[in-house]
Amino acid sequence: MEQSTFDLIMKLLNYFLFSAGLFKIFGKFKIKRIWAFIPVVRFYKLSECAERKDEALAAVLCTALSDIFGLLFIFANKYIKSEAILLGIVLLAFTFFVMEFIYHVKVYSGLCEVFGVKGVKWLLLWIFFETVAALVWGFGKKYLPVNRNTEKAAHLSGKTEKETGEGLVIDIDERTVGSIFKRKTLLKDIHLTIKPGRMVLLLGGSGAGKTTFVNAVTGYEKAKARIVLNGKDVYKHFDDMQHEIGMVPQRDTVRYNDTIYNTVNDNAMLRLSDDYNKEGVKGKVEEVLQAFGLTNYGTAIVGKQSGGQIKRISISMEYVADPYLFVLDEPDSGLDGILARSLMQKLHDISREGRIVIVITHTPDRVIDLFDDVIVLAKDANRTGRLAYYGPVEDARRFFEKDTLEGIISTINRKEEGGEGRADEMIEHFEEARNGEK
Amino acid sequence: MEKSKSYRGRIRQVPIYLGKCFRAFVYMDDWKVIPMAAIIGGLVSFVACQYVFKTMEGTVNGGFALVCVCIWNGFFNSIQVICRERDVIKREHRSGMHITSYVSAHVIYQAFICMLQVTVIMAIGHATGIQFPQASVVMGYFPADLWITLFLTTYAADMLSLMISSIVTNSTAAMTVMPFVMIIQLVCSGIMFPLTGRVEIIKNFTIAKWGIESLCSIGNFNSLPMISLWNQIFKYRNFEIGGTKPIEEITNYMMDNNLQDEFMKVTAKYSQNPSYASTPDHVLRCWGVLILMSFVAALIAVLFLKNIDKDKR
Repeated sequence: MEQSTFDLIMKLLNYFLFSAGLFKIFGKFKIKRIWAFIPVVRFYKLSECAERKDEALAAVLCTALSDIFGLLFIFANKYIKSEAILLGIVLLAFTFFVMEFIYHVKVYSGLCEVFGVKGVKWLLLWIFFETVAALVWGFGKKYLPVNRNTEKAAHLSGKTEKETGEGLVIDIDERTVGSIFKRKTLLKDIHLTIKPGRMVLLLGGSGAGKTTFVNAVTGYEKAKARIVLNGKDVYKHFDDMQHEIGMVPQRDTVRYNDTIYNTVNDNAMLRLSDDYNKEGVKGKVEEVLQAFGLTNYGTAIVGKQSGGQIKRISISMEYVADPYLFVLDEPDSGLDGILARSLMQKLHDISREGRIVIVITHTPDRVIDLFDDVIVLAKDANRTGRLAYYGPVEDARRFFEKDTLEGIISTINRKEEGGEGRADEMIEHFEEARNGEK
Repeated sequence: MEKSKSYRGRIRQVPIYLGKCFRAFVYMDDWKVIPMAAIIGGLVSFVACQYVFKTMEGTVNGGFALVCVCIWNGFFNSIQVICRERDVIKREHRSGMHITSYVSAHVIYQAFICMLQVTVIMAIGHATGIQFPQASVVMGYFPADLWITLFLTTYAADMLSLMISSIVTNSTAAMTVMPFVMIIQLVCSGIMFPLTGRVEIIKNFTIAKWGIESLCSIGNFNSLPMISLWNQIFKYRNFEIGGTKPIEEITNYMMDNNLQDEFMKVTAKYSQNPSYASTPDHVLRCWGVLILMSFVAALIAVLFLKNIDKDKR
């Protein structure tokens, strides 16, 4: 038998054995078994089993590009004499081959997780002897998917907020991120209206989308949404509205090499309208420094201040612009109870000037009396941030049947995060309650 | 809410950021780039610039060393300037800061830094033995020609690194990319390693090429003596052919009749390079290209920074 014939037989044998293994694996996932015989598609379907569909798309694209450049090399080798072009083609083919390999590893490691298989030996078997691994897992009765996400996410409300002409109207249909290879929905179906003069707590477990939510609301990261501030669409008129919105980010994004006074003053000059003359700006800066207890530190260098002090500088930088909507992402992180309370009291006072103040904090209970309302975001079964509650703080306690707000977080956190895993239940429950109110 | 309030525009925002830059010069020890430039400049001019503007070889080698110093200084001036404060820029951009104002402030500030560095390098170089020719090609005063050449070379490198700093998202990436760009700038300039064929065009995109052309032009390269051939011949003067030493006879004859200088000038004629022509047009062309490079780099920096809102958290 000629070598080429032998190779062909071996390739066909390998193809059928691998297909047979996948045929049985797909059966375990209730996926159409016929896909097991169709090249490329079967890998994509396998990645569905591994809950790694995005990686599979990338792998398929890399395989295609690697093959195209491989064929191009054969063609170029025959007809093109330029060594530089040949080298370029080889390098590209090699790069895509490496990428394809990496994505395969990601899909196979996902498969090991879904099958609850620990250790590296199965992963190596899948990488280097995929046919053997597919046959064993396909025909072996003890190999069953154990870590599949079979929960169903809460239904969508299909709600839209009515425009009131004042306050903040939030109508988020969804907020997605990623490329064509990896798309993830971070937020979905969040509809609420915040009245002026309210101090609102934004609550949610890690990864529930709190920062994404405030970024979407402030227009910094646009979502598929309608955000209306005092009757004006934030997304459509962002250039005008950006001066009405103050957003203090989670991290202290300040220049450490400048003085406190200059830091606040530069922001005032940047953000205050021309209605303020030089004296007006100076007066405003001094007023803000006074309000946040920074007057005596004006000439001090920012980088040499304590964490709490830098946090106050960061807030002053936004507050000096007189924002109508003031959003603060964990302004009390790293502050002791007394400092945190004094800061929150200040924010409470600001809200009483008729502004809307939204605060994200992980330690809400120590200052909860200062908040009017609470927004609770929860991760649904698809790991997407959804609205689980919005309303007065007292009602929230009754709604979740918890005495503390940290208890509320525990209710909605997923079981693997140490919570009760009742997020979807509470999302639907809240929607029913809202519809009942109507 | 009031409608159509006006806020500081692009031009009025520049002084805000210019102020920040100059405060960084004091508070953040940016001033250290000046003594650093003095040390590097002094070291290089002491080692490699003894024959610059005196002989053809000395001008090319010393000029290349000076251009290396300029590119080195320029690169280090701003390679981390933007990427290290990307989060702050993003925050300020959302608050109404114009990217053009921000970059313009850096463009002005870096010009100031480069001017100081070049002045210091020239002073140190002169003190360590670089002798300035009397003739000037453009400005009527040689040190002015040299100052402008070194400044534009440093500034073009500075703007290129500012551009890199605006493209990459962190300091680590900036410091990884920088050596590659620097190597391309120096190796592909065609000065030390001549490029031929299709790749020759690459050298036109290097700062070093235009810097060295300008230096050689203002140094009147084509009228300088060439010493390397004389030195080579002199080295082989003991070479014997059939019991005689013909090379020694020739060198002795030339030395006895004071013909070495004449020989060096004659041999130099064969090494003249039209790219180093000492004409105002040529020097101005080199300067123009360096200015254009700086402008394009700053423009690219603006274009890339405009997308800063898309930065991931």
